[in-house]
Amino acid sequence: MIAFTDIVGMDLAKQALMLLAVDSELGGVVIPSAVGSGKSTIARAFADILPEGTPFVELPLNVTEDRLIGGVDLEATLATGVRVVQHGVLSKADGGVLYVDSISLLDSSAVSHIMDAISRGEVLVEREGLSEVHPAKFMLVGTYDPTDGEVRMGLLDRIGIIVPFTAQNDYRARKKIVNIVLGTRDAEDTSDELKMLAGLIQAAREQLPHVSITSEQMQALIQTAISLGVEGNRVDIFTVRAAIASAALAQRSDVEEEDMKLAIKLVLIPRATRMPDREAASDEMPPQEEPPQEEEPEGEDEEAPADTPDAEAEEEQKETPDMIEELMMDAIEMELPDNILNISLASKKKTTTGSRGEALNNRRGRFVRAQPGEMRTNKVALIPTLISAAPWQETRRRDSKMAGRSKTALLITKDDVKIKRFRDKSGTLFIFMVDASGSMALNRMRQAKGAVASLLQNAYVHRDQVALISFRGKQAQVLLPPSQSVDRAKRELDVLPTGGGTPLASALYLGWETAKQARTKGISQIMFVLITDGRGNIGLQATFDPNAEKIPKEDLEKEIEALSLSIQADGVASIVIDTQMNYLSRGEAPKLAQKLGGRYFYLPNAKAEQIVEAALSF
Amino acid sequence: MIFKVHGVKVSTKRSIMTQTETAAKKTAAKKTSAVKAKADATVTTPPEPAKTVKPAAKKKSGLAFPFTAIVGQEEMKLSLILNIIDPRIGGVLVMGHRGTGKSTTVRALAEVLPLIERVEGDTYNRTLEQYLEAEDGKKGAKAFDPKTIRIEKIPVPVVDLPLGATEDRVCGTIDIEQALTSGVKAFEPGLLAQANRGFLYIDEVNLLDDHLVDVLLDVAASGKNVVEREGISIRHPARFVLVGSGNPEEGELRPQLLDRFGLHARIITILDIAKRVDIVKRRREFDEDPDAFMKKYNREQLKLQKKIQQAKDLLPEVTMTDAVLTDIAKLCMNLGIDGHRGELTITRTAYAHAAFRGETVVTMKHVKEIAGLCLRHRLRKDPLETLDAGEKIDRELAKVLGEAEAV
Repeated sequence: MIAFTDIVGMDLAKQALMLLAVDSELGGVVIPSAVGSGKSTIARAFADILPEGTPFVELPLNVTEDRLIGGVDLEATLATGVRVVQHGVLSKADGGVLYVDSISLLDSSAVSHIMDAISRGEVLVEREGLSEVHPAKFMLVGTYDPTDGEVRMGLLDRIGIIVPFTAQNDYRARKKIVNIVLGTRDAEDTSDELKMLAGLIQAAREQLPHVSITSEQMQALIQTAISLGVEGNRVDIFTVRAAIASAALAQRSDVEEEDMKLAIKLVLIPRATRMPDREAASDEMPPQEEPPQEEEPEGEDEEAPADTPDAEAEEEQKETPDMIEELMMDAIEMELPDNILNISLASKKKTTTGSRGEALNNRRGRFVRAQPGEMRTNKVALIPTLISAAPWQETRRRDSKMAGRSKTALLITKDDVKIKRFRDKSGTLFIFMVDASGSMALNRMRQAKGAVASLLQNAYVHRDQVALISFRGKQAQVLLPPSQSVDRAKRELDVLPTGGGTPLASALYLGWETAKQARTKGISQIMFVLITDGRGNIGLQATFDPNAEKIPKEDLEKEIEALSLSIQADGVASIVIDTQMNYLSRGEAPKLAQKLGGRYFYLPNAKAEQIVEAALSF
Repeated sequence: MIFKVHGVKVSTKRSIMTQTETAAKKTAAKKTSAVKAKADATVTTPPEPAKTVKPAAKKKSGLAFPFTAIVGQEEMKLSLILNIIDPRIGGVLVMGHRGTGKSTTVRALAEVLPLIERVEGDTYNRTLEQYLEAEDGKKGAKAFDPKTIRIEKIPVPVVDLPLGATEDRVCGTIDIEQALTSGVKAFEPGLLAQANRGFLYIDEVNLLDDHLVDVLLDVAASGKNVVEREGISIRHPARFVLVGSGNPEEGELRPQLLDRFGLHARIITILDIAKRVDIVKRRREFDEDPDAFMKKYNREQLKLQKKIQQAKDLLPEVTMTDAVLTDIAKLCMNLGIDGHRGELTITRTAYAHAAFRGETVVTMKHVKEIAGLCLRHRLRKDPLETLDAGEKIDRELAKVLGEAEAV
């Protein structure tokens, strides 16, 4: 077992966990990091710095609903004939830590239950005749590898700290790690260091209520949140808490600049949706709808004695928070990569998995729950059936004896029968790749938008998802990541630049990547819908290096061919829709369809419905 | 076979406790009181088994954040209040950004709700008339003397339906404990029964399992819940105000369910810094000392509660002219809204809104303020439409208003 103090590198992750140890109201820490970087080691070592006896529960990824929430304890129920309740994993973590390794792979229904438990601080068990409330106030620690996919934003929103993606350690650190793992370090040193750290955290916990933060400092933090385009107001509370916890760790009674910097780094930056605009940071609003009514709330008009004293002060010092913010942004940008959006989880559009892509069904997928149902047409869940029959044996025996029927060992009636429900991510992911280059681009874009819209209207029924990739200029771009939300589609499809070169290879590559991502999320059926004349003229190289030389046509074709083969080998179906006027066509689109092993449709002036029809007919 | 519907339960003591506390106690004490209720049942009790059901749940972890201390989000607050004034409006769907206080606001609602009368201890929260109608003359039941039935006042119930709820807990099932301890097959009402005449709240409603959505749609349409199990058949009233919340980016809501909601409140991140500072301050104050914080807002809470009650009392006196009704119909027609639920909702909501303002005549001013809430989710969705649903409604509204003025 490697102790907390033995972990080399990952300083931010360590700081994050220490803040959480000081203030559990921060909700939790999520650590995205590459494979083998020690993220799960550090998470497990977190128990070292918590007070003794704090529960530390690890959540298995394949957890079933009843194990997660709680339910009837089969063994005890059968043994006693009385329903015995078993607490779920969420409530077992009460007062301690719930640790999820590979949290991005967690089933979306499990994520929903965790979210619910976090927001309530308890679990409502309303199942199988039980109606109970189990306390479940826990800190959530999650680790994952971002290449496995992202964590649902709704869950991240309820977790205070997200450690920015951690960089690789240098060689000295690596050497030290090897030494520690091989056990060449003194065990005594470790225990002393741990004791010291635990003492430090204990002292910080005691200091916590004595730390104060000024209104200006709060304003500066909130201003920063707004400049970074962070969604929601819950984050403000986390940011302020993190700053205070940091001050408490330093045994101070006032929040200082470094505390605020740390809070911004650990709470706000990972949720940034845009780079702050340095010129007009304070006035600019995120690109959102106007707030509904600005009218003052009823019943609030004569309150707020808390604010009156500093209302004037706020007016006067209006400049100050901005200045603090400027200062902080400077400091942060020095330490972090040029574009913070690279490390922001919120900005990665791949993140959301609409859980509607998953469907409960009675046939295939992962067994999640048992529920009453028809025996003949479904798979019977034997154990849940027995559980529901168990308590009735006594009465039923009496009844059947009275009715003069013969005695059987077990009396099971139709009412007891429980059928299995499985969760399966069914439906198809349609990846639209639209050629936004050249003069016909606008037309194609409009057709594609129409088709996407039309597919999404029916997405609920078929549980299909749609992604949209546009390609023009040097490289292709994911405009709409796999989604089912009409709202999202609407938002993402609003601004679409057109014109420029035709990076067909880049589009295929990006589509392939999107397809692979979707596969890890369990979407098995994927279809490419290419709307293009098939005439690519920009190579893949240009995607990575804008100054790359133009490569010859033959090489371009080879690239496309290789990509097409890989895509086909991965079982992705394709259709190519050619909207070019006949006299201009050089027959490249049919060739592309052939390479992809897909079908070719010639649809000049295609209507959206025709495209949908073509896609669905395949 | 002894047959008994346990409608009347041991009455719950309530005096100085706040409403949430009562609710929490009720949930916690439910099992125990249910067992107690069976003590007076007919058959002898079997010996106590070695390991019994674990003591159910502790008290609810804390007080709910006071409704009147919630900063901003007027649209959501107004829609909830209007639904208290007239539950026939048909509920609220609150959709919007994460972390904007959706569930905090709904859970805070309990404290400002008015009291309703019900038959003492009745699990379905029925009024005396409903109780008599359902229970009197039932086969095997004793004859009732209406005078012996006592009436109590309870706060309008707010029932939380968690995503992981199973069908039997939502609809109700046979009470196993009672069957075991006394051999009586008694119906154990579910969440739908508890929510009768109250609010049923579903957080993350867009993630609710399909089969539960089916149940809800069914019950919401008929106002009745029917359960058949272990050879007994139960039918009980289940009329509730459906309140759902969620983030639209997590998934779409089933169209049929969407249509069931009377109002659709939209909620977005507050961008005003002073307000946000205020939110953080209040939250911190509440976390540090919930009791003191509650006390601070006590007056506001009572004031709002009273205002709602007054509006409820005023509602029967509110009137609307034909001209206003015509304008409402025109608005819905111009917006191409299917069915008539649009007009009906606007009309009811406008009545409630006028009552909340303390006015007795509905004008287009009232309509204007609530039209967006009523119609937003009834417009056909079109991803190519650049105009926001709210803007579209406002535009049509302006047209109708313009016409009205011109005449």
